[in-house]
Amino acid sequence: MNTFAGFLRRLSLLARAILKVVLAVVAPLAGFLRRLLAGFLRRLSVLARPILKVMLVVVTPLAGFLRRLLAGLLRRLSVVERAILRVVLVVLTPLANFRRHHPVLARGILTVVFVAVSLFATYFFDPITNYNLAAGAAMSIVIVGLSFLTGFSGQVSLGNGAFMGVGCYVAAIWANHHATTPMIGVLALATAAGGAVGLLIGLPATRLRGPYLAGMTIAFAVAFPSVLDLFSSWTNGGTALQLPQLLSPPGWIVSLFSKSTGSLTPNNMWLADVAIIVAGVAFFFMANLFQSRTGRAMRLVRENEVAAELAGVSLARARVLAFMVAAAYAGLGGGLTTLVSGSVAPSNFQLNLSITILAVLVIGGIGTLSGALIGGMVYAYSTTWINQIVSHTNLDPTGSVATSLNGIIFGALLIIVMLVAPLGIAGSLRLFIAKGLARRS
Amino acid sequence: MDGFLASRAVSDLLVGLHFGVVIGLVALSLVLIWRATHILNFAQGAMAAFSAYLGMSLLSYNVGYWWCAIASVFAGLVFGGITERVLIRRLYGKPEINPIVVMVGFLALLEAIATAVWGASGRAVPLPFSFVDWQLNSQTGQTIAISPEGVYQIVAALVVTILIVVLFRYTNLGLQLRAAAVAPEVSRLLGVRVSRMLTLGWILSSGVGAVAAVIVASNFGPGLTPTVMDAPFAIAFIAAAVGGLESPWGALLAGVAFGIMQQFVTDYLNNSDYVFLIALGVLVVVLMIRPQGVFSKSVSRRV
Amino acid sequence: MSRPQLRRIAAPALAVSLSMGMAIVGLASTSAGAAGTPGVTATTITIGATVPLTGIASVGYSEVAKAADAVFKWVNAKGGINKRKIHYVIKDDCYDACGGTPNTVAQTEALLALPVFATVGSLGTPTQDSVRNLLKSNGVPQLFVNSGSTDWNNPGKYPMLFGWQQSYTVESKILGTYIKAHYKGQKVCWIGQNDDFGSGGLTGLKDVGVIPAIQQQYSVNALVASNGASFAPYMAAEKAALCKVVFLDTIPGATGAALGNAEAISFAPHFVVSSVGSDPITVKKEMGSIPDPEAAAHTITFAELPASTDTNPWNAWMRKVIKADPAEFPGFTNSTPIDGNMAYGVGWGVAFVEALRAEGKNITRAGFVHTLLTTSFQTPALTPLKYAATNHQGLSAGYVDVVSSLTSTTAVKGKTVYATTGTKASKVTVTHRLSTSVPTWLL
Repeated sequence: MNTFAGFLRRLSLLARAILKVVLAVVAPLAGFLRRLLAGFLRRLSVLARPILKVMLVVVTPLAGFLRRLLAGLLRRLSVVERAILRVVLVVLTPLANFRRHHPVLARGILTVVFVAVSLFATYFFDPITNYNLAAGAAMSIVIVGLSFLTGFSGQVSLGNGAFMGVGCYVAAIWANHHATTPMIGVLALATAAGGAVGLLIGLPATRLRGPYLAGMTIAFAVAFPSVLDLFSSWTNGGTALQLPQLLSPPGWIVSLFSKSTGSLTPNNMWLADVAIIVAGVAFFFMANLFQSRTGRAMRLVRENEVAAELAGVSLARARVLAFMVAAAYAGLGGGLTTLVSGSVAPSNFQLNLSITILAVLVIGGIGTLSGALIGGMVYAYSTTWINQIVSHTNLDPTGSVATSLNGIIFGALLIIVMLVAPLGIAGSLRLFIAKGLARRS
Repeated sequence: MDGFLASRAVSDLLVGLHFGVVIGLVALSLVLIWRATHILNFAQGAMAAFSAYLGMSLLSYNVGYWWCAIASVFAGLVFGGITERVLIRRLYGKPEINPIVVMVGFLALLEAIATAVWGASGRAVPLPFSFVDWQLNSQTGQTIAISPEGVYQIVAALVVTILIVVLFRYTNLGLQLRAAAVAPEVSRLLGVRVSRMLTLGWILSSGVGAVAAVIVASNFGPGLTPTVMDAPFAIAFIAAAVGGLESPWGALLAGVAFGIMQQFVTDYLNNSDYVFLIALGVLVVVLMIRPQGVFSKSVSRRV
Repeated sequence: MSRPQLRRIAAPALAVSLSMGMAIVGLASTSAGAAGTPGVTATTITIGATVPLTGIASVGYSEVAKAADAVFKWVNAKGGINKRKIHYVIKDDCYDACGGTPNTVAQTEALLALPVFATVGSLGTPTQDSVRNLLKSNGVPQLFVNSGSTDWNNPGKYPMLFGWQQSYTVESKILGTYIKAHYKGQKVCWIGQNDDFGSGGLTGLKDVGVIPAIQQQYSVNALVASNGASFAPYMAAEKAALCKVVFLDTIPGATGAALGNAEAISFAPHFVVSSVGSDPITVKKEMGSIPDPEAAAHTITFAELPASTDTNPWNAWMRKVIKADPAEFPGFTNSTPIDGNMAYGVGWGVAFVEALRAEGKNITRAGFVHTLLTTSFQTPALTPLKYAATNHQGLSAGYVDVVSSLTSTTAVKGKTVYATTGTKASKVTVTHRLSTSVPTWLL
């Protein structure tokens, strides 16, 4: 016993000695790096403030500004002009009240307007922009599902890439066997498949918290390519699966362009249009869900489980529902991605994809809708932006620096965003606007 | 006896054990960080690989394997400490998604930097012992499915785990580490330097990870590449969840169990695609029965 | 309007303004209106490819397109072809998994938007399958796809799609013939990838009457996840079954795993490996710490291009061309070994410039395809490259060589060049139609 105690003491002393040496190295280095990082972040926020101020002026709705201006003018103008201004006010105020009393309809109109404007714009974009828009819109549907699951209902899930894969493959397999099903049918099938798998994963997930839930979703994400391989008679295994024919635009769209522009331009415009419409519908429903009773119940579940239970919310049902919704959205986004890109392969659905989805969501703004949109665009455009940086800095595009640039920028961006603006771009902007408005009062 | 030792089942067991101890080590490092700071370190694998790169870069100066290995572990220790002080300090008390995303970003950054500096193709790590399996019988040519290198790796993993367990359970330092994690306010009152203990938790975990990376890189496969620890990390995460994030032995055992299961499934079902499916199934079943993992002692709430 | 109302409108208004910003950026990017053949001007021709420069498939394979680019730069330095310089745009698609995200279709769309005259030398079976329809519907030729799949030999459905190398079946038929001649009566076992690479290779063996006693398939997923340990039970089973010849239809990483595991259990059969995964330099890179994996095993493999120790004049020329491109091959000296990937890339690079030269001053896509179909090309490959209206596969012949050192391969005695096609009925025959000389205008 003595020798064991002696051994322990010696072990402890040795460990302490080693750790002292390590700490002696760590402390100054860490101090220096920490000051460096803090200084960099401070300079970043100092830089960001004027930019945010400019955006605030742009973003603050014109109506409120006009209203104050009008109210000020009202005191100085003649009766006729006052009457005219009063009429204008009478028109504007009900709009705001309309939004308050009929939120769903107001949201719907806003969505339709947004979608219509975007559709109009796609006519003028070049084909590569349209393709990126289509891919980004499809991905933002997947991301918004995760935004709901993690941001609202508080369940950290690293399996959304696999849910998306379910939708992708169901769409591809169905299109290969039943080529005549209209696009809507294929998308509906993909959504339903996603929801079903979400139920399967969500049921065991109700009892799990934190790292164990993350572990389970990781296991699902990692097992998914193997499942695809196992069912290779359906999925074509390691070889990719293609749609029998690419999504082609109807005749009247093609006729909008002259014959000389080739088929890439109208095809990609059609892809972008389809994606924008589907995304618009999906976001509309998600916006309603955010504000509905179910959405509020989920938020309560995340914030305080005991209070939620006391309020009569069934924890298990809320959590499973959140999984189903997120998975259904991921399935829809996946099916749309397949329609846009025309093929799927198991190598597309590694664990990395789920992690990237979470990462771009966080950059955009977790728990928000616009954040998901931003995330989708970041995802789609990152390759293009990196290409442009490489060509502008004259780096060798096949060299090791250029090819690792994507990872360096993405990784650094994630760390900085989480340290400086953990609510993401959309969330921080919203917070800034709210603070700015509060200060004005 | 020879026939038994060279038999299919025993071979699978030994190869699985060899593969599984590494997973167990990575799982152990995850458990260490979780117990110390309640953070999921997604960059664990990448940090370990980076430390191995730093240590193994001494090879080009004709330094021997053992010194390079020690240098890798030392680099791991220092790296863990720096990461905790610079990055993790800012994340205490924030919602659980924040450190996850920061470490994911750190992972991408580290792998990209390693690729930019050392290139993507594998770097050979010399083997201190022979990797050829022991011959049982020179006449029949039968071999037992373990080599001197394999024994070295298993023993190294066991030694590291035992050292960690002994440190935690029987030494004063270990007591302070545990106290700082479980009851920081009280420990502070009792004179424990809590912030230093948190850093130490990361230092130890990163050192264990570096050991795992050196072992993984030695196995034939692509050698040391920036992404060599990605797959072991994902598997170790699953193993740690099954074994329970509170128990170092649980982590090691779960890792070994996964390795053995992988070999048996690949051999007898002749299809390695079932491995992860079975792992997912085991995880779901285990966590249904014990949501805190098999070996954890803490109690969880039922929903 | 009250503050809460303002706040609620802020978010969608923000989204609208962001997309408007995106729109402005989009409007700013212009696309050149194409008059005449896309990608072709009086002084340049733009071609593109998607290859794995990073990621799991990049070891070794990243050099192929760079080697072809070296050929294009050599030709450009001489004034170009018919006064046109070749502008080769290489895009990284990480084998369709950049950071986990699918990339091939996006990068191909980017190439189409440039525009490019054709895609030349893109790599990968699933990756290039996924863009066949896209390229076809835009009328863009898909040339010299780097893969041994038979998917590129579909002239009915894809008239502008051409492969470059022999199919996996052709290679296996020729290697199977060698096995029957040199390993008569010995037990053959087979391990192959779980996709058309493996099944195509196995079909070739069976077509010439070599039926492996044990047939096992591996998946790339499991190989990566286990760092090679997934091959241990395969080699153990083959050792227990007393296999004397082991045929591998494997990628370099899997070849390394098989050889390493075999060496670990002291199992030393005759290894015959597909050209996809036999380049000794690449396999060594994939095997980390095992010294000298293939040479020790005297691995037999197939080559459609001259073995590196061959005194073929093309080998000397290749060395000159690669040395003249220090940007993409830094540190290349006279004694640096040329690995199989470089030779492969130079092969179809030469094929392209020859076709371009044969096409003449006036270049159209349809005309180029016609030239490909009606001309026989002298390339570094052992036999001339000849397509036909019913055959877009590419090369279909080669000889058997052995890995003779860590960095080189040597043709087996006799240097007999065999030819065959992928159909079951066609026999393996000796061919004497060889291409050996470098055209004077390329020197």
